[in-house]
Amino acid sequence: MKFDKRKDINPKYLLLTLTIICIIFLLMSFFASDKIAAIKGFTGKIITPLQQGINEIGLWTDSKMDNLKKIEDLTAENEELKKKLAEYQSEITTYQNQLSELESLQELYELDALYPDYNKTGAHVFATDSSSWFSTFYIDKGTNDGLFVGANVMCGEGLAGLIVECYADYSKVRAIIDDNSNVSAKIMPSNALCTVEGNINTYQHGYLAVVNIDKDANISIGDKVVTSNISDRYHAGIVIGYVTNVENDPNNLTKTAFISPVVNFSEITEVLVITDTKTTIVTE
Amino acid sequence: MRRIITLALLIIFNFILQSTIFGFHNIGSISPNLMLILTMSFGIMRGRKEGMFVGFFCGFLADCMFSTVLGPYMFIYMIIGYVNGFFHKTYIVEDALLPLIVIVLDELAFNTAIYVVHFLLRNHLNFIDYITSIIIPETLSTALLTIIVYKLYVFINRKLKEKE
Repeated sequence: MKFDKRKDINPKYLLLTLTIICIIFLLMSFFASDKIAAIKGFTGKIITPLQQGINEIGLWTDSKMDNLKKIEDLTAENEELKKKLAEYQSEITTYQNQLSELESLQELYELDALYPDYNKTGAHVFATDSSSWFSTFYIDKGTNDGLFVGANVMCGEGLAGLIVECYADYSKVRAIIDDNSNVSAKIMPSNALCTVEGNINTYQHGYLAVVNIDKDANISIGDKVVTSNISDRYHAGIVIGYVTNVENDPNNLTKTAFISPVVNFSEITEVLVITDTKTTIVTE
Repeated sequence: MRRIITLALLIIFNFILQSTIFGFHNIGSISPNLMLILTMSFGIMRGRKEGMFVGFFCGFLADCMFSTVLGPYMFIYMIIGYVNGFFHKTYIVEDALLPLIVIVLDELAFNTAIYVVHFLLRNHLNFIDYITSIIIPETLSTALLTIIVYKLYVFINRKLKEKE
């Protein structure tokens, strides 16, 4: 190897120096996390605008490609939808009748609304984790828009994840399919409590694992899994997915179910973030 | 100086591509590891020192954006860059097989390290499942991409050498 004689340092010593720097950073992450947050924030300020720019270009080309593909499909779909619309209109009238009945019954029981109206704000996804091991992504809103660490992130009607790091203009979200994610939930008609576990292996097959279900709970395929009131992080009543399979655990005390999530994690572009904190709802 | 600026741009460019276009809005999917290809290429073409620095800064970006603590990715990428630098002695410009073998070994080492730190220590013992569902697909996709991207880096390296 030829290096400039004046600057030539043995790579061994350089390796040692850089290793020490790594260890210092690592120790700082635990003992001086505010300084590390500053470094991360500074790097993010440079990197995130570039990512957002590239992402805009990607979305633009993607939508243009989609348009070409969709025109043909849309006419056929339109016909079908018109037929369905007529069906649904008749269904709505029946539901409306049932709703008024439900409302009168709820008044009777003095129940609050089952799904409280949370304040939400929309955000775009602009970057995803670069390695195949983790499922985190970045959204383009942060503390300036009233977000905070621990805010729930939804995609459509379903639960998508939780904000784990929040900076001024962007935040990092951990998806519920991430291996580190655990959501306290309940299975709907039977009200059985359970934990929705993110797991790479089951997600490769399109499912999330639901563990710690009581053996005696009455669960059938198609049951809805929603976030529970017990959780101190997640708001109650957000849909996570639907049960596709149930099996008994070897310990014969609990059951494990597999659910298919409502959110399509392979096509996340826009998300909704709930800006209420969990505690304010409890005190209300 | 020209070399440092080129390398810095390459690192940032690779990182941004990796986090946006590759795995475009596709969370929890397999995507090739561009930064590992960059680290490996400059490790082989330029030796231990440059491989180490490229790896160090690739890892720094990865840590800043996708890790809760600062350090682990930096260390892994840096070690990979340094070790790949030993192959510089046998480096021939036309040789396309050496980078391919080295990148496969790198990917296996890199992913095994992540498995041990983040999964084995949390009592996730089914290593075989992780190998078949994550490590092998990622290794293959990275190796395929290496064939193309490595040529590009060889070209960039040659241009830089001509200027120096």
